[in-house]
Amino acid sequence: MMTCKEVATLLSTGELDHASWLRRLAVRLHLAMCDRCAAFKRQLDAMARAAAALGRRLEADAPADLEARVVDRVTRTPGAPDRP
Amino acid sequence: MGFGAAEADDLVQDAFVTFLETMDRFEGRARVSTWLHGILHHKAQERRRARTRDELVDPIDDVFEARFAADGRWSQPPVAPDRALASDEIAAALAECLDRLSPLQRDVFALRQIQELPAETVSKIVGRTVTHVGVLFHRARGHLRTCLEEKGWKASR
Repeated sequence: MMTCKEVATLLSTGELDHASWLRRLAVRLHLAMCDRCAAFKRQLDAMARAAAALGRRLEADAPADLEARVVDRVTRTPGAPDRP
Repeated sequence: MGFGAAEADDLVQDAFVTFLETMDRFEGRARVSTWLHGILHHKAQERRRARTRDELVDPIDDVFEARFAADGRWSQPPVAPDRALASDEIAAALAECLDRLSPLQRDVFALRQIQELPAETVSKIVGRTVTHVGVLFHRARGHLRTCLEEKGWKASR
């Protein structure tokens, strides 16, 4: 049985997207039975919807060169290699 | 010292500025080079701590931990946001909260959640492993949750 902490971590890191079908099923079952984790998921969903709304708004009034500037910034400062 | 060339240049400049600022405290008991190295060492440690704060440890991890009991159950259960709140209202609050994130966490959140890119793609863009992108995304959402809860999921304006 998965703990609430495991479920919340899988949801919040986005790791659930590439978890096995068995793990995804276990999370679904847990969410169906656990109000608290379901509330946590609703927070994440609300945040995702708000981010999408923000994205639409930014797109509507973004300067034309924004994307080029972001790409430039990201490619100019590549991250250091990761630690395990 | 484990810094890139640009960052190392920055550090040395920073150390010289501090050297000039604190010169009047230099009593000639040590050689100038020793004094300078001391400053540089101190600056490097400061910078390393800042980087650690940004990437390796984040106090938000403790906030998340504290919400669970030892058996992994919620001890401080989350409260789902009011369903009546429109996404646009939360979006305004979110825009304010995003400003408080570290640049790297903000980039990861924006790419994952606003651009809706998969973790693999974001990993390539920011030059971090997929696992680390997950950690950064988790931390970003943790900070944003705290900030949004403070605002009652509404913009302060």
